Order: sequence, then C-alpha cells, then structure tokens
Amino acid sequence: MRRKGIRISFSLLFAMAGLLFFAGPVSASGESIGSCVVEKLEHIMEDGHHDGHADVEHLFHSLHAKEGATEEEQKAVKKNEDKLESCLEAPSPIIPELSEVIWGGGAFLILFVVMVKKGFPAVKAAMDARADKIRDDLDAAEKAKTDAQSVHADYEARLADAKNEASRLIDEARGAADQVRSDLVAKAETDVSEMKSRAASEIEASRQQAIADLRAEVAGIALGAAEKVVQSSLDDDAQRRLVDQYIDEVAGS
Amino acid sequence: MADNAVAGYADALFAVAEANGVLLTVEDELFRFSQALNSDENLQATLDDSSLPVDRRQQIVEDLLEGSACPTTKALVSMVVASGRSSRFSSIVDAFIERSASSRNKTVATVRSAVELDDSQKDKLVTALSGATNKDVEVKVVIDPSVIGGLITEIGDDIIDGSVRRRLNQLRENFR
Repeated sequence: MRRKGIRISFSLLFAMAGLLFFAGPVSASGESIGSCVVEKLEHIMEDGHHDGHADVEHLFHSLHAKEGATEEEQKAVKKNEDKLESCLEAPSPIIPELSEVIWGGGAFLILFVVMVKKGFPAVKAAMDARADKIRDDLDAAEKAKTDAQSVHADYEARLADAKNEASRLIDEARGAADQVRSDLVAKAETDVSEMKSRAASEIEASRQQAIADLRAEVAGIALGAAEKVVQSSLDDDAQRRLVDQYIDEVAGS
Repeated sequence: MADNAVAGYADALFAVAEANGVLLTVEDELFRFSQALNSDENLQATLDDSSLPVDRRQQIVEDLLEGSACPTTKALVSMVVASGRSSRFSSIVDAFIERSASSRNKTVATVRSAVELDDSQKDKLVTALSGATNKDVEVKVVIDPSVIGGLITEIGDDIIDGSVRRRLNQLRENFR
C-alpha cells in the first residue's frame, strides 16, 4: 500500500519533469510577427534583385502602385500586401504546427510509455486494492447484514417462543385454576351432601331412638299399670284357676 | 372343685340327718332356711362377713333357728356357717335335697308360686309332673310374689314356666 503510493508519486513527479523539459523547445519553435514581416520583406527584395531594380526603390514600388500603373503592377502590389498581411493572421486554433505535433507526440509517447510502464500498474494495483477492499467491505457488510438478519430472525423466533410460552403458561395457570375451583366446588358439594346425609341419618337415628325410648317408656308405664291391675285383680279364685290351668297344661303335655 | 365341695357337704348333711333319723324334718327345715336366707340379703352379708368371729355368726343362726328347728338342723346350719360356706348354702341345700329325694327314689321339683298351694293342688301337681317326666316327683313349694300368678317349676335343668310374670315379660319384649 505504502509502496504503491510511493510509486504513484514518483510517476507523477516524473511526468511533470518531462513536461517542463519539453516545454522549452515547443515554445521556441513559434514565430513572432516582426520576424515574419522581415522574412516577407526579404522575399520581396530578392524578387526585386531578379528584376534588376534597386532594393529600397523596388520595395517601395512593390508596395505602392504608381499613378497610371498597369493592372499587372497593381496585382503585384496587391500580392505583396497579402504576403505581409499573412504575418498578421493568427495561427490556426485547431491545426497545430508540425513541429508542435512532433514534440507533443514525442512527449506524449514518452509520457505514455512511462505511465504505462510505471504509473498504470501502480494505479491499477491501487485501484485493485481499493476494489478488493471495497468488495471485502461489501462482503463484510453483506455478511454483517445476513448475520443481523439471522440474529433478528432468531430474536423474532425467541420472542414468538416467549409469547407462546407465556400464553401457554397463562392457559395452564387458567386451566389449573379452573381445575382447582371445580375441585373445590365438587368437594364442597360432596361435603355438603355428606353433611346433609349425615345430619339426615343422625336426625333419623335420633327420631328412631326417641320413638324407641318413648315406646319403651310407654310400654314400661303400660306394663307397670297392667302389672298393678293384674296383681290387684288376681284374687284367690283367679290364682287357683291359674294354678289349675298350669297343672292341666303340664298333665296334658 | 366348688361343686365337689357342695356335693361333699350335701353328702355330709344327708349322712348326719339320716343317722339321726330326722331326714324329712331336716330336709324341710333346711329348705325353709335356705329360702329365708335367699330372700334376706342382710342376713347373707352378715353370715359371709369374715371380719365377724365365727362363733358370733354361729350364734346368729342358732338364735334365728331357736324354737323353729330341730337341734340337728341347727347344728348342721351352724356347721356350714362355721366352715365359711354360707355363700354356697342354697346350693348345698339343693344338692342335699336332691340327694335325699334320690335316696327315696324321687326327683325334686322346686315350684315357685305367688300364693300357697293347698294339698289337693300339690297332689295334682305331683301327679301331673310325674306323668310328664316319667319320674317319681317330690314337690318343694317356694312362695315368690314376683311370680304374680301361676307357677314356675324347676326339675333338674328343666324349667316349666307358666307364670303371669313370664307373660308380662313376653308382652314387654313385644313392645320393644
């Protein structure tokens, strides 16, 4: 990582140094307006040599048509004016000078080669590392999301379990409470009915006992009275009859 | 053991009475005294009381029997009391009477009645009981007001109950 950064820095430094190195020659190849005019004027003066005219005079005549000059002479003056005016024209903004193309192309090629050889691998490595890192991060994020989802699902499941458990416990408790209540009610009913039946049987027993006691008492009183009546009514004749009757029964048996 | 003692005493009483030739008299007087003793709890308790000296108790029975019993009877009762068997007196007397009756080839029937029986009734009763049991029966009458009316006859282990008391008891049972 650190080495990649160093390599990228070196590449950039190298490219800037190349740019400065080649900047001199490129600017040197350009022409000023003055030198252009001088060059054109020299061309016109050389043309005058061919015609055999004196230099300055020729130059003057070349640029100023005399009165009554021929059409051919006017054309020549016009042609020279155009030549000089061409120096005032700006260079084409689109099509560069050939030398600029050569220098620029060479510099570009060198820089391109350097960049391809040195810069691109470094950048590619850095980009790859970054892409890997991002991919790893994305994977990690995905994994974290999946984990979070699974944890969430787990919690949901646990929550649902807890809810089910709670409702089950509540149902159980309710069922147990119902059971206890019905048991208690049943037991109370049983107790009540037992007590009722016991009370009824006790009452019945008491009644029977009272009846028996009363009957015994009545019988006792009646028999006591009967005994007294019998005793008082048994006179000598009756006693004699009873004894005779007894003797007869014994004799007859 | 006790029955052997009872039988022994009965045999002794019988032997003494027979030797003195007053068997019937003694038999009758002992029977009466036995009845009197049975109906008098105070007398029974006094004669059973071991804290009283023996001669004191003997004196009591001799005083009771003075004039109403022959000397043999008096002596025999006194002997039984002195030997401390007065609680078994009625059993001894019963055994003695049985023994005495069987010596005359007779069976004793103890008849309980509320009223005294006259002789004709006794004779008819003897005849009827003899016919019913096929034995020669001798009747001993005990006066017992609780019988109320009619008779209760005991011959050995048999009881022939024709009393008003029994009828009243039956009535009482029916009321329950």
